[in-house]
Amino acid sequence: MPYMIQTNDLTKTIGEKELVSNVNIHIPKGQIYGFLGPNGAGKTTVMKMITNLWKPTAGTIELFGETLTPKSYGVLKRMGSIIEFPIFYEHMTGMENLMLHCEYMGYYHKNSIPEVLKMLDLTKAADKPVNSYSLGMKQRLGIARAILCRPELLILDEPTNGLDPAGMKQIRDLLKMLSREYGMTVMISSHLLSEIESAADMVGIIQHGRLLEEISMKDIVEMNLNYIELTVLDTKRAAFILTEKLELMNFKIMENGKIRIYDQKATPQKISKMLAQNDVEMSAISKKTESLEDYFLKKTAEV
Amino acid sequence: MLKLIKLEWKKNRLGKKIRIAAITSAVLLIFIMAMTGELNAGETIELYGKSMLNTAVELFTHMTYIIFTGVMLASCVVNSYENKTIHLMFSYPIDRRKILLSKFLVVWIFNFTAIVLTKVLIYAVLLLTSSYTHISTASIQIGNPLFWLNIMLSSAAMVSVSYISLLVGMKMRSSRAVIVTAVIVAALTQGNIGDFTLSNSVPFYIILLVLAVVSVYLSIYNVETKDA
Repeated sequence: MPYMIQTNDLTKTIGEKELVSNVNIHIPKGQIYGFLGPNGAGKTTVMKMITNLWKPTAGTIELFGETLTPKSYGVLKRMGSIIEFPIFYEHMTGMENLMLHCEYMGYYHKNSIPEVLKMLDLTKAADKPVNSYSLGMKQRLGIARAILCRPELLILDEPTNGLDPAGMKQIRDLLKMLSREYGMTVMISSHLLSEIESAADMVGIIQHGRLLEEISMKDIVEMNLNYIELTVLDTKRAAFILTEKLELMNFKIMENGKIRIYDQKATPQKISKMLAQNDVEMSAISKKTESLEDYFLKKTAEV
Repeated sequence: MLKLIKLEWKKNRLGKKIRIAAITSAVLLIFIMAMTGELNAGETIELYGKSMLNTAVELFTHMTYIIFTGVMLASCVVNSYENKTIHLMFSYPIDRRKILLSKFLVVWIFNFTAIVLTKVLIYAVLLLTSSYTHISTASIQIGNPLFWLNIMLSSAAMVSVSYISLLVGMKMRSSRAVIVTAVIVAALTQGNIGDFTLSNSVPFYIILLVLAVVSVYLSIYNVETKDA
């Protein structure tokens, strides 16, 4: 699978402190990748290295299939980013800041600035100096600037900081649109799963500088549906009973004699009764519920 | 590079700084005229092999613009590290050394132009008003190419030595450190203790210029491989 971003054992040490160690990230083209982790987990460090601001102590980064070196200036033309918080020339207006960005990026499309201003609801504020903007407005202007030159890759470090819930939703919808319509690959970090779960296609969870897991949202959702888990000696026979007698179709046979039943019409009582009637030995049955937030917290608490 | 310099000019609103430079020049002019006005009519004092008039003009313009260059290096270069706008600059597909060089150059060009124009303005006013002020302007030899060469070379040297303060500011990531160092450089090069001054010592200036070149080099040599 072609990856837009791939890191190989990415490590960053400053002084004695290892900020991130052996991080292996894989972001497929066109996907929205949620980079999750509590504060101080190493999200910004990784993103600084991906945008070439910081240099890895060990390991490599591949962007667009090319290994990133200190001289990789070309890839920066294909990227848009916000690292930590958006930085502007505060005395200049929003519009002037965007125009300056186009000049430095060598990007000249007449309508691009009015378009992004409109997308981020900043048309009215465009002619005001940035030092008069609120935190949320600066954040939106930062996103406007990051997407201004239609990058193939968007790196956003906690872009929803300072935004109200409606603003957050607006950004999520915008990212989905950019990914869908322009095939933009997006890496977005957050310490709140709820902030990105509805937009992300996959998530990477980082804790104490180590990447714990990379998983697609589809898999998480499947994992997190309420289900009944039962442990039987003979999974084949149990599966037969579930299909034929109980008419259940949505279940998965796992390892060690475990079966997960996602079918909502099934109840533990019905299942155990039917299995007992058909002489299928069952050692355990339980109903599981887990929210996405629980999953994330569990993952980050494990370390 | 030219485009980078133009963008730096625009971003730092150097147009506004022209006004400050113009006011500075006017103040210098008044100050020098007031000082030379104390000379007796028709008197020319030779000092360090130069006329007192030229020495005064050079001393005060040099001192002012060594510090002014330091202030501009602080606001255009070191301050971009303090307010992190340099991170934004380093996210552009442009060689980092070129980005920094364009900042250094814009400050150099501005100050070199300002110091030359200030000297020309002061000499011109002194010449034009000499019939009223009775100050001897024999040393202002506008017909002599050496006079102009001296203005150009001394101005270029003064702006350049101010870049010694750059390295101090870059290492300490402090605008104040740049300005303080520039003041020290100005005092060292233009000051005097009794009759002793280094302001006419060519070897001293060569050493300072070498230090300035080293300072610029050390400020940019590892910018590509260093964490921003």
